[in-house]
Amino acid sequence: MNIKIGTVLVIILALIAILLYPNDEKEIRKNLETLAEYCSSPKGEATLAIVKKGAMAAKLCTDPCMVQMESFHINRELSKKEFTNHMLTMKRMLPETHFTFHDTTVIFPEEHFAELTTTLKITGKVTNDRFTNAYELNIHTKKIDGDWLFSSFSVIEFMEQ
Amino acid sequence: MALPDKLKKFLFPSINRRYITRILLLSLNCYLIFTYILIPMRIQGESMEPTYRNESFAFCWRPQYLFSDIKRFDIVTIRFTGKSIMLLKRVIALPGETLEFRQGILYIDGKQTQEPYVKYHTPWNLPPRKIRADHVYVVGDNRGTLMSRHTFGQVQIKRVLGGVIP
Repeated sequence: MNIKIGTVLVIILALIAILLYPNDEKEIRKNLETLAEYCSSPKGEATLAIVKKGAMAAKLCTDPCMVQMESFHINRELSKKEFTNHMLTMKRMLPETHFTFHDTTVIFPEEHFAELTTTLKITGKVTNDRFTNAYELNIHTKKIDGDWLFSSFSVIEFMEQ
Repeated sequence: MALPDKLKKFLFPSINRRYITRILLLSLNCYLIFTYILIPMRIQGESMEPTYRNESFAFCWRPQYLFSDIKRFDIVTIRFTGKSIMLLKRVIALPGETLEFRQGILYIDGKQTQEPYVKYHTPWNLPPRKIRADHVYVVGDNRGTLMSRHTFGQVQIKRVLGGVIP
């Protein structure tokens, strides 16, 4: 009986260790969650907090960072400053929004480089109207000096009018 | 008042190996069915009103197109990168057909097509376009919103996850 309990305990501990063990994929997924948090704006967010979040979001990206979003007429490399400015403009235009990433897959085509496909869901409120939008994104990340940084974002336009 | 033995056994079964096995099998079945076959959906948005109201509830029926083709006016779910977020839209044109909107009226291959499910109208105008092979043209039922604020267009059939219940 004691052997049985011991075996179960060892299996449980091994599973916990596997779950908690840090790896590149976990770090990338965590960065994505952090980015979503920085992009989100709760109701009545202070200006200082908005500026701080914008700068923190830019720190998660390479300088420059490629952004391809045809619906928003952006298709070029953005410097850290430009990235922050775009974030601030977006936050001012959409003062009450929530960003979340879903169904994310991470692949590593080469060392220190990862490619993500994910669905970005944006919910929010504009002049008393609630809205929900979703976009399929392809994101590239690079490992630079031990940190995974987002190097490109592109929206996959799978629906053509 | 004492409960009859059979009912008591049904409501308060003794937790034995057989009971735990049944619970595990039931949980596994529920997981498989509601993850891969009949996916519950909470509808967010007004693009399918009045057919599907904002914050209403429906299921995505994955086997819908296993043995049949997509038909015009079917309501389908379209996936993004997975099953967590889907678009709910109506198929209005099939591969090879030419679609056009004139003053909010749908024309397929040049012929006016009635859409009885559309209750809110605005004069949408869209020049004729041919639907590519392996694609369908999908749009929401709520045409009361501006075209620019509506997500619609032709989409690959492989993006269609299934039909909708109810």
